[in-house]
Amino acid sequence: MDRIEGTTINRRRFLQALGAVGVAVACGPAAPTGASPAPSAAGSATVAAAKPVSIEWWRRNYTAGTQNAETLTSDGAVKAFREKNPNFTISIQGGPFGPETDQKFDIAILQQKAGPDVFHTTGGDVLKYAAAGQLSEPPLTAAEKADFNTSALTATTYKGKVVAYPLWIVPWFEYINLDLFKERGVTPPTDGNWTYDQFLDAARKLTFKRADGKQIYGFAHANDEFAFMLIDGGRLYDKDVKKWTFNSTEAISGLEKWVNLAKEKVMPPDYLTLNPNDSQARFIAGEIAILQRPSAMINVLNADAKWKYGTNWDIANFPKGATAQTAWGGVGFIAVREQADADKKSAAHAFAKYLTGPDIGPDLKKMTPPIEYWLAPAARTSAAGIYGEYHPAKAKVAKMGSFTYVLPNVSTWAEIDQKYLRPARDAALEGKKTAKQALDEVAPTAQRLLDEANK
Amino acid sequence: MRAALRRYGWSYLFVLPTFSLFVVFTLLPVLQAFGLSLQSARIVGGEWIGLQNFVTLAEDPVFRQALGNTVLYSLVVVAAQLTLALVVASLIQPLGRKSQTFYRALFYLPLVNSAILVAMVWRWIFNPNPFGLANTVLGAVGFEPLLWIGSSDQALAAVILSAVLTIPGGGVVLYSAAMGSLPRELYEAAEVEGAGALTKWWYITIPLLKPTTLYLLVIYTILAFQVFERVYVMTSGGGPNNATITIVQLIYSTAFQFGRYGLASAMAVVLFIMAVAVAVVQFRSLRSDVEY
Repeated sequence: MDRIEGTTINRRRFLQALGAVGVAVACGPAAPTGASPAPSAAGSATVAAAKPVSIEWWRRNYTAGTQNAETLTSDGAVKAFREKNPNFTISIQGGPFGPETDQKFDIAILQQKAGPDVFHTTGGDVLKYAAAGQLSEPPLTAAEKADFNTSALTATTYKGKVVAYPLWIVPWFEYINLDLFKERGVTPPTDGNWTYDQFLDAARKLTFKRADGKQIYGFAHANDEFAFMLIDGGRLYDKDVKKWTFNSTEAISGLEKWVNLAKEKVMPPDYLTLNPNDSQARFIAGEIAILQRPSAMINVLNADAKWKYGTNWDIANFPKGATAQTAWGGVGFIAVREQADADKKSAAHAFAKYLTGPDIGPDLKKMTPPIEYWLAPAARTSAAGIYGEYHPAKAKVAKMGSFTYVLPNVSTWAEIDQKYLRPARDAALEGKKTAKQALDEVAPTAQRLLDEANK
Repeated sequence: MRAALRRYGWSYLFVLPTFSLFVVFTLLPVLQAFGLSLQSARIVGGEWIGLQNFVTLAEDPVFRQALGNTVLYSLVVVAAQLTLALVVASLIQPLGRKSQTFYRALFYLPLVNSAILVAMVWRWIFNPNPFGLANTVLGAVGFEPLLWIGSSDQALAAVILSAVLTIPGGGVVLYSAAMGSLPRELYEAAEVEGAGALTKWWYITIPLLKPTTLYLLVIYTILAFQVFERVYVMTSGGGPNNATITIVQLIYSTAFQFGRYGLASAMAVVLFIMAVAVAVVQFRSLRSDVEY
């Protein structure tokens, strides 16, 4: 556990405080069991004035003393929040992204019913914890709910109740190497918009071998993708997330468009095993003209002196298919763990609301040195503006939320995706099955797993 | 019995720490895995479902593929590693003492490398791009590049080849040590009868190395059944179209990514039974007292 500057209690005092709270709770009146009280700004100020409260925040990829984005923004967030609420003590516990940390969360929250008071979470975890009754319902007003992106709010809804605070939407889009476009005489898409045919034509022209033997590929993506299957309007589930629909005509034609890219050999030969980091490295090395990656890569390029936005790189939308412009994205959430300690729960909600609200971005921007809090566009309209202020590329990305398809949360999604959908996709891309055969074969198993998730 | 216990009983105190660790960290988890395999266990409890997990596995095409891949990998890799270890140890044996030590160390040292790093090197060697080492070599001798780990037809072969081409240093050292203890008079007698080097190797060395071969066979088979990091790193999990998925890889994803601990435990039980069955067969077919 890492101590944030300004929080001076040691472990013994921390445990003593916890013990005292435990005794107080045990001896005092029963804690409310329903939704926690609304931690309005005034409420949080009341708690602040009343007594000290210690809460624990679990943040993936936080490593005290390092300069990674999660650490800098987390430390900054705690510092800014404590300036407004000096009686709060917030400890941050980190852990790398990956299944080991996911398991640590599961054991603490689901088995031990302990651990973080507030935590970052993604995907199916929200529903998993909600189903186990381990999430405290955010006390959002109707106006606050209306402020959040609808699809992000839907992704955090379990049995009709919003169970976590949507933090941000991470959109995927195309990064383009303008030097390569220029070298091959290809016109970049106007305002980042292109049809699939224009995209394919560009990818073809941008796939070439230089005189020195260096092979350049028009397009690449990491092996965790399925975005092309969305561009003709194909969607994984119906609106109620009850029926698997990813073998619809639209999904099949989307996959066929993707298969075309493989047939045209505009992707590097290792596209089926190309991991995200390697795909980024290959783009940075100038071997890929168009790379499909999420918004986090903007900072990677900005950190490299040779990459200048607008001069040798730009961003563009997904190629437009048979329906309206679409994009694909994931959502990050802040959740508050259900617990008997009303003070802690209230403090955790106040902090979660701050982490996802409109004040944190400007607060961190005022710090010395300024900290960019939003690593992706905010999932809340009132907080969205500042992301675009950080960088012109981000200003473009900030507009993508309106057409970004956010994957609905299904607790068995990882199994559907990794065990069945990706191999089927591979079979189609390799030409071993038609797009229809591949998606039809997956459908019954995916439906069974979806039904299981909906039980 | 009682007197013996009174006299030597205290000595059990010395094995108690190790035995306790064995019980806590090995025996109990194994027993727990057997228990979990009969439950629909997830991270929060589960229900007793009898043999349903095993029925699910039998019907699961991905598990059948993982089973087939694991068996194929084990057959080829174990056979190749035993042969390589035997041949390399035999080539080292006639050398002088210092040279023997040098070569034993040379072949053993790579074992101290991280398995992940080794797998990353192999990932680069079998990279499907023209800059992959294997494709560079193929290009230099006039062949077209292959897709290797980028193709579902070639990925498992590439993984197997990476294991086969890694000389098994442990086996070389064990065979080499065993050869050093073989009685010279048998070779001298054979020489008197006019036997050549190959004849002596085939009719004396190999039969007398049977206990070492049996040991290595069992150990290598179990290790091959447990192959994980090579597949995980080289082919980003199970490879294109699950082409390289193995049982341990599937256990990992089933437990830690899909949260199905009961089903993953059932896979582990199947793997355990396979390993025991193969070991029993190997012991029965190769067990014989070698006296010299």
